[in-house]
Amino acid sequence: MGREVSESCVESLLTEIVSSYCNGFYADKPELAARRIEAIGFQVGHQLSERYTMDRPRFTDHLEAIKFICKDFWSEVFKKQIDNLKTNHRGTFVLQDNRFRWLSRMSVDPSIETLGSIQDPSAMAENKAAQAIGMHLYFPCGIIRGALSNLGIPCAVSADISNLPACKSFHFEFFYSANSLN
Amino acid sequence: MIVCVAVVGHQNNPLYIQSFTEADDALKLHHIVHCSLDVVDERVNNPKKSSPTLNETFLGLLYPTENYKVYGYLTNTKVKLILVTTDLDVRDADVRNFFSKFHAAYVDAVSNPFHVPGKKITSRTFAERVSTIVKSFGLSSGS
Repeated sequence: MGREVSESCVESLLTEIVSSYCNGFYADKPELAARRIEAIGFQVGHQLSERYTMDRPRFTDHLEAIKFICKDFWSEVFKKQIDNLKTNHRGTFVLQDNRFRWLSRMSVDPSIETLGSIQDPSAMAENKAAQAIGMHLYFPCGIIRGALSNLGIPCAVSADISNLPACKSFHFEFFYSANSLN
Repeated sequence: MIVCVAVVGHQNNPLYIQSFTEADDALKLHHIVHCSLDVVDERVNNPKKSSPTLNETFLGLLYPTENYKVYGYLTNTKVKLILVTTDLDVRDADVRNFFSKFHAAYVDAVSNPFHVPGKKITSRTFAERVSTIVKSFGLSSGS
């Protein structure tokens, strides 16, 4: 332990993964690119959860595991805890991070913005920007899904960016079968 | 002396099993490890409420047999670590110490990007590290 990774390296790597999958390997298939990026994240999350839960007592229930994700795991990976956790007690959890580290320094590609302004100034640009940023969220989604499934909670994780272009707020949702909750 | 260690996945699939005896009794030791899995399940599903070790990763002595003692450890990711030893008076602290080193070795092994989750651990580094840990078992206590 005690080994650290430069944050700028991680951010550059993420940007590079996304751009090479979206513009290189699967340029014409954004769906497939998203799946591949998510799969990489899944493996990373799987391995990280193994390491970060090493010195902890075992989790008694799912809520405890999710709390672990919100507090310890989030601060290990994203350097802060999440800001808000909501649940409907039927297996859906919404995590809100008002300043998501990996997006906080991201800017929208100006070529996309000008492209959008030709037809419909605001809506088009926003749509394109949302798409570009959404691509960068598949990796963290994969990490969370990998970590949770390794802790025994198979789930689906999706991200939602509500506050564009500030992109400082987004949600994670967990769905898993209700009977496993009880 | 430790005669056998094992890593068992969350679906009770063997990930790594290694015996450390000269004699040809690997099968017997594998059988002992296999039996211990039921005991682990029992411990986890019917925890003693008053026990101070509730939800601890270290499960303690699973069961003694005539010649062996079997200890267990369950990680948060439902991976079971099993230890079979011939020593009859083992100190709990030694076993705990062993398991925490063993767990660290396991975590390092599965963090290898070339390791496929759920498949057997084939890393030679891991095997060497485990045998070092096994050899040093009980020595550090200075007994």
